Amino acid sequence: MKITFFRYFVRQALANIFKNRLGHLIGVGTMAIAFLIFNTFILVFVNLNHWTKEWGRSMSMSVYFKGEPDRVSLENIKKELLHFHGVTTKRFISKDDAMESLRRRLGEKAGLLDGLKENPLPACLEIILSRDKSGDSLPYQLKTRLEKIDIVDEVQYSQEWISRFQAIMKAIKLIGMVFGGLLFLAALFIITNTIKLTIYARKDEIEILKLVGATNRFVKIPFLIEGAIQGFLGGLIALIVLFLIYIIVISRVDLRVGFASLDIIFLSPQFILFLLIISGIIGFIGSTISLGRFFRI
Amino acid sequence: MIQLFNVYKTFGSKNPALIDVSLKINKGEFVFITGPSGAGKTTLLKIIFCAEKPTSGHALVNGRNLNRIKDRELSLLRRRIGVVFQDFKLLPGRNVFENVALSLEIMGVPLSMIRKKAHQTLRYLGLAKKEDYYPPQLSGGEQQRVAIARAIINNPLILLADEPTGNLDPDLTMEIMALLREIHSKGTTVIVATHSQELLKDTTRRIVALNKGRIV
Ligand SMILES: Nc1ncnc2c1ncn2[C@@H]1O[C@H](COP(=O)(O)OP(=O)(O)OP(=O)(O)O)[C@@H](O)[C@H]1O
Ligand SMILES: [Mg+2]
Repeated sequence: MKITFFRYFVRQALANIFKNRLGHLIGVGTMAIAFLIFNTFILVFVNLNHWTKEWGRSMSMSVYFKGEPDRVSLENIKKELLHFHGVTTKRFISKDDAMESLRRRLGEKAGLLDGLKENPLPACLEIILSRDKSGDSLPYQLKTRLEKIDIVDEVQYSQEWISRFQAIMKAIKLIGMVFGGLLFLAALFIITNTIKLTIYARKDEIEILKLVGATNRFVKIPFLIEGAIQGFLGGLIALIVLFLIYIIVISRVDLRVGFASLDIIFLSPQFILFLLIISGIIGFIGSTISLGRFFRI
Repeated sequence: MIQLFNVYKTFGSKNPALIDVSLKINKGEFVFITGPSGAGKTTLLKIIFCAEKPTSGHALVNGRNLNRIKDRELSLLRRRIGVVFQDFKLLPGRNVFENVALSLEIMGVPLSMIRKKAHQTLRYLGLAKKEDYYPPQLSGGEQQRVAIARAIINNPLILLADEPTGNLDPDLTMEIMALLREIHSKGTTVIVATHSQELLKDTTRRIVALNKGRIV
């Protein structure tokens, strides 16, 4: 493309925006609303993703003993576990500890336990497996290995839990894509119609340009640049509003689920840049679509 | 240069605007197209610069069949045809200079060159002082001259002028006609559509008379 053309296109796009300030303001506002809905969804999705990853990062495993293990054998087991990558021992719960916590949980009904001659609860060692470092077969390997030790009665971990977690992740991703895609189309639809209004307001100008011999491309490009600028500004405003909402409202909310306190994260800088570029591209595509219908004749 | 073969043009279900029009205009000719209001003069010009396609029949301009011309070729062809529209078709949001510069801008002519040509052409048409005015701030006659300036600025092969003196007083009319003759003398094929008998009074040029869409 000749440099004179390029300068003309940019100058023309900016001049048009300036001359039709009000129209553009309305257009950018409409786009900002569409993008805000889209970006809010993205933020929710990013956080769901973040939480599931956090939860999935570790799984716990319980090693139950036949009697009360003596300190030396316990230390031996702990030492043995050190050989496995990504494994940490969380805590040891002796038979007495287990009984104590059961009593606490029963509260007033704890008297029921007084009748027992001997403590039926097993002692237990809780282990954490980091899923980042360990392979999928590690839980099983660890189980067989530990169960060979004679003071160990049984090793439990939830196999379903892992597969359920993976299913949840998959579902979230799928829903995210479908929903995100729909929202994307909705935003595109709104934006296309917004841009169509600006173009319609200038149909005489387009006609005249064509009559004096401007090529389609020459007529279209300033509109495309305008659309991209509008989209970018709309996206920028949407992100700023979303960030303000995040700062003022969301970051003060304390979300607690069970023991875990969930922190709500904002979009990463790369993601923000990505969304801004996407906004510009949506504006560009929106212009292309609106112009396409216009140039049929 | 321009050839029409049995051209018909109908708008919707109304009486046809052009009926069986065949016409040949040679390179370098100066032709008047005349006839009462509604005779089809503007429609005929529109066929020539392809703002309308014939309902049936063929139009050949500068060797191109307009029924089959591609978008891009049409744009290139239109750059060689200057048109003074009956309703001027100036861009109200651009000033006189920018309106006149348009014909060169679309060709990618460098800005310095555009400036030179535009000043020169506007001076030629007595509009040097109005460069910064916007069309709505101009009189009808001034707007007409801006339209002429835009049509001639890139030395077109063909100049189509639709009632180019419709808004002008007798003095300016004489001036514009002299201008058109001058452009013609430089080799441009000029076609002027007018219903003014005054303009045709003692011309020796070829006159094509239309009535109710037919050449008479
Ligand atoms: N776009 C259109 N749609 C419908 N009818 C049209 C259209 N353009 C022209 N006509 C009709 O075609 C006929 C010829 O119109 P045209 O504009 O060619 O006349 P003209 O000779 O230029 O008249 P005038 O001297 O008033 O400019 C008229 O009856 C007009 O109503
Ligand atoms: Mg007419």
